[in-house]
Amino acid sequence: MKKAKIIAGISWVFFCLILIIILFPGLNSFSLSVSKLPFMKLNPRYTGGEIADKIISKNCTLVIRKPVFNGFLKERNSGFEQLDWHGTIPEIIKASIDYDHDGIKDFCVLIDRKNSKTVLDPIDRKIKGVLISTPTSYGWAVRIGLIK
Amino acid sequence: MDNVLKTTEMRKSFGKSLLYTLPMFLITFMFITGGKPNFSDPSSGLAMIMVFLLVNVLYFFMHFKGKTDKYRAVLFIIFALSLSYTLIHNMIEVRKSMSFSQADILECRIPFCHLVIPMMILPAVFTKSIIFPGSIISGFANISSMVVLWLVATIVLGRGFCSWGCFYGGWDDGFSRIRKRPVIKKIGELWKWMPFAVLLMVVLTAALSMMPTYCSWICPFKAVTEFEQVTSVESATKAGIFLSLFGGLVVVLPVMTRKRTQCSFLCPLGAINSLSNKITPFTVKIDKGSCNECFKCVYVCPLYALTSEDIKAGKVSLFCSKCGKCVDACSKKAIHYGIRGIPAGTMKNFSRNLFLFVSFLFMAVFSAGSIINTLHGLLKLIF
Amino acid sequence: MTDSLILGLSSGSACLATCGMVMFPYLMAGSAGVKRIAFDLSLFLLTRLVIYFILATLAWYFGQAIFSNPVVRNIVPGILYIVFAIMLVWYSISKNRNPNCPAEIVKTVNNHRLVPILLGIVNSLGFCPALFIILTKGATQGTLVRSYIAFLAFFIGSSLWFLPLPLAGKIRKKEVLTNIGILATGLAGIIFMIKGLTNLIGGIING
Repeated sequence: MKKAKIIAGISWVFFCLILIIILFPGLNSFSLSVSKLPFMKLNPRYTGGEIADKIISKNCTLVIRKPVFNGFLKERNSGFEQLDWHGTIPEIIKASIDYDHDGIKDFCVLIDRKNSKTVLDPIDRKIKGVLISTPTSYGWAVRIGLIK
Repeated sequence: MDNVLKTTEMRKSFGKSLLYTLPMFLITFMFITGGKPNFSDPSSGLAMIMVFLLVNVLYFFMHFKGKTDKYRAVLFIIFALSLSYTLIHNMIEVRKSMSFSQADILECRIPFCHLVIPMMILPAVFTKSIIFPGSIISGFANISSMVVLWLVATIVLGRGFCSWGCFYGGWDDGFSRIRKRPVIKKIGELWKWMPFAVLLMVVLTAALSMMPTYCSWICPFKAVTEFEQVTSVESATKAGIFLSLFGGLVVVLPVMTRKRTQCSFLCPLGAINSLSNKITPFTVKIDKGSCNECFKCVYVCPLYALTSEDIKAGKVSLFCSKCGKCVDACSKKAIHYGIRGIPAGTMKNFSRNLFLFVSFLFMAVFSAGSIINTLHGLLKLIF
Repeated sequence: MTDSLILGLSSGSACLATCGMVMFPYLMAGSAGVKRIAFDLSLFLLTRLVIYFILATLAWYFGQAIFSNPVVRNIVPGILYIVFAIMLVWYSISKNRNPNCPAEIVKTVNNHRLVPILLGIVNSLGFCPALFIILTKGATQGTLVRSYIAFLAFFIGSSLWFLPLPLAGKIRKKEVLTNIGILATGLAGIIFMIKGLTNLIGGIING
C-alpha cells in the first residue's frame, strides 16, 4: 500500500510536470478549446444583447438590439435596450425606436455628440431613462433603462 | 555544527547547480525568445536577454545556495511591479488615464484577471454565460487563456499559485519584507477564515447581481491597475474602497505584521486555491522525528498557514502557499517540500528539485512577457 | 431582494451559532425519527415566516407614517442602515460575542408541541442588528408587496442554515463553518454600511 501510494504520487508529479511544460506552447489551442465550451460566451448584460434590427442610412448604420432582462435564475423586471450607431455619424443623432415591435414607437432619443448631451423622450411608460450614452470606437452607443 | 550540516543539505556544488539549471535554461530560452532571438530592436533584445539571465541566475542560486524563498521573492515582486507598470503604461498610452470608460465596458475590452474566476462559476452553471466585460478568446488577458493558466497552475501547484503565479501577490510580499521585525505580532485565529467568508459573499452577490462584485467593489489591486472612471457618488465610493484596502491590506498591515495580509485575510481566489491544495501533488511536509519544535517556521510563515499545534501534529494547514520561507528557516530541515504519497522525511532533495522546476518554470514563463515589456519601456526611457 | 437574501444568508449562520445549540436539543427531544423532526422544523420555520410577514406589515405601515417627510425619507434610512450595520460588524468582530439566546426561555415550557412555535416566535423576535436592518428596509419600501418580498428573501436566506439542524451532530468542522458564517455576517454589515452611506450622501445631495 505504501509503495502504491509512492508510485501514484510520483506518477501524479510527472503528469503535472508534463502539463506545465506543454502549457505555454499549447496555450492558444487549449484556450481555443475552452472558448468552445457551452458556457464560454458573454452574458447579454455585457454584450448589449442580440441584434434585432439594422437601419442603414447613407454613412451610418443604427443597430437595434433585443431588450436585455437577463437575471441569475429568472428574468428581471428591469433591463435595458441598447442602440449602436456605426460609421460616420452626424453631430446630432435622432431616432425613434419601437423596441418591442408592436408598431408603436416606444421612445425617441436625441444625441448631441458635440456637447455629449442625450435627451430621451419616453413615449411608453416602460422606458426608465438613459443608463449609458457614450462615444465608442465604432461610433456611439446608448443604453435605455426598461421595465417589463 | 549540526545546524550547519543540515542547512547545507539542500545546497549543491557549482557544477551540479549548473547541471540542474540546464533544463530551465533551455526551456526558458525556447519560451522567452520563441527559439529565434530577435535583435532588430536593440532595446527589446537587450530586455529579453536581461530577463532570460535573471530567471536562470535566480534558479541557479536556488540550487547553489539551497534556499528558495529569497530568490523566488525577487522574481515574484518584479513580476507584480512589472505587470502593474505594463497595465498602467498601456492604459495611459491608449486612454490617457488609469481608469476605463463606459465604452470600454460596452465594447468588452476589460482585461480579465484570475480573481474573477470564483464569481464566474455560478452564473456559468445557471445562465451558461460569463459575467465579465472582457474578450472570450482574442486580445490581451482574454478570459479563456486566463482560465486555462489558472486551472493548470492550481491543479499543479494548489495554493502555490499564490506564491509562484499570482501577479498581485508580489505587492504584499514585497511590503511584508520591509521591516526586520513585526510591530503587530498576533492576529486572532478567526481572521484566517475571512477569505472563505469573502468568497461566500462575492460568489452570492455576483450571481444575484450578475456583476463581478469583487472587481467592482473590493479588489485592492484596482489601485495599481485600472478602475472605473469616477463620475458619480458610487464610483467615488468604489475608488475610495480600492485605495483604502490597498493602503491597509497591501501596504500598512504587511509592513506592520511582516505577513501577506491581503492574501491571508481577503483574497477569495486564495480560498479556492487553498481547497485545491488537497489535490496538488506537491506539499510541504513536517518530519516530526527531526523537528525540535523551535516554531521558527510558525514565526516566518507569511500566510498564517502554520500554528504550533500544526507543527506538533506534524501537518501543514491548507493555507500553505509553498513559498519556501519555513523550509529555509528550519535549521533541522524538518519541514521540507514533499510529494503526496511519499512519507515525510524521505526523498527531500528529489521532491524539492521537482517542485522548484515546475513552480519556477511556471513563474518564469508567465512573468517573462510583462518584465520584458517593462524593461523595454525603461530602456527606451533611458536611451 | 438581493441584499435581503444575502443579509439572511450571512446572519442566519450567526443566528444558528448562538441559538442553534439551544434549539437543537428541544427540536430533537424525545426524537421519534426524521418525520417528526421535519414536522417540528417546518412548524418552527412556518412560525418565523408568519412573524416576519407581520413585521413586514408593521414596518411598512410605520414606515409610511414616519418617512412621509422628504427630509426624513432621504436621511434617516441611511443613518439607520449605518448604525445597524455597525452593530452587525461589531457582533462579528467582538470577542465577547454573547452566546446566550433568547430561546433559553423555552426551557420553562413543558408542552413539547408548543416548543417549535415558541422557538419560532422567540427566534424571529430576537431583535438582532440584522433584523433591525431588514425592518429599516421594509419600512422604506414603496409598497407592502415589496416589504413582504424583502422579508421573504431574508427569511429564505436565514432559514437555509436551519435546514441541516437535524444533522448537526454529523457535520464535521462545525467551528469552521461557524467562523466563516460570523465573518460573512460582518461583511454583510459592511455592505449595508456602504448602502447606508450611499443612501445618505445621495439623500443629502438630492435634498
